[in-house]
Amino acid sequence: MKLNQLANQPELRQMDVSFINHFIESATNVFDTMLGIQITRKSLSLKDSPAPTHEVSAIIGLSGRVSGSVVVSFCTNVALKGAGEMLLTEYDDVNAEVVDAVGELTNMIAGGAKAAMDNMELSLGLPNVVCGKDHKIFFPGNVKPVSVGFDTPWGEMAIDVGFNEVLEGSLESVAAQETVGV
Amino acid sequence: MKILLVDDSGTMRAIQKRCLFKLGVAEDDVVEADNGQTGLAEFEKDTFDIVMTDWNMPVMDGLTMLKEIRSRNADIPIIMITTESERARVVAAIEAGVSDYLVKPYTADALNAKLEKWVPTSV
Repeated sequence: MKLNQLANQPELRQMDVSFINHFIESATNVFDTMLGIQITRKSLSLKDSPAPTHEVSAIIGLSGRVSGSVVVSFCTNVALKGAGEMLLTEYDDVNAEVVDAVGELTNMIAGGAKAAMDNMELSLGLPNVVCGKDHKIFFPGNVKPVSVGFDTPWGEMAIDVGFNEVLEGSLESVAAQETVGV
Repeated sequence: MKILLVDDSGTMRAIQKRCLFKLGVAEDDVVEADNGQTGLAEFEKDTFDIVMTDWNMPVMDGLTMLKEIRSRNADIPIIMITTESERARVVAAIEAGVSDYLVKPYTADALNAKLEKWVPTSV
């Protein structure tokens, strides 16, 4: 599904569509710059919480004129290869070094998206990483995260982004300032 | 050439150390800390030629540590390496006395170029 088609879904707010673009662009840039690989966006959906995930997920909170969370979920092989590329080491298991690398990749993805949403005056939290098959991550009950799947040369990953409005009028101002381009 | 390297991510410290070692910095001359508070404690224990620091860290962030170090030493080069790239953040770092700034993600070449500027190749 394309973003402009997704935007026609009544429960999806213009803000969600605008924001997810920034995370897609930032993830593409982080994987290219830090890992030297190209990732390809595939599935796009509006999820019911809890979000199904891959095996290794990093979560970062963002707060400012809106508040929310981004979850970057990696299949195990992407986590292992990504950490290996950054640390010039081969990993067979998800250990503390892999968890740290995954958290830092997610930090850079969230940081890049945050910079593109300068008008939201967002602050980043620190990443937390959850591992394990079939783990679930719950967003607040009133938040339906937008989820984007990616193919990478090492396997699949996904980004789930869900935001709540904090200040009156933030949604309208974001919708006015952001452009849906994908 | 003694360098204080402050980042809560061991991954990022490893990448930066790799670059420093390629420039000839000795392993023993890089002191690591994983937050601003321990970074400041290390700074007070020793004499350093350069400080490299992240911004977002637990306990004490890099900007707070930068201000603390500047209040003790007006001259030491302090390089901030961070995901924080909004204009207001960069201005805040400049006002606090940062010497140089590199935004994550960075290529190996960009990191190398930034460090070459501050680390003499003959170290």
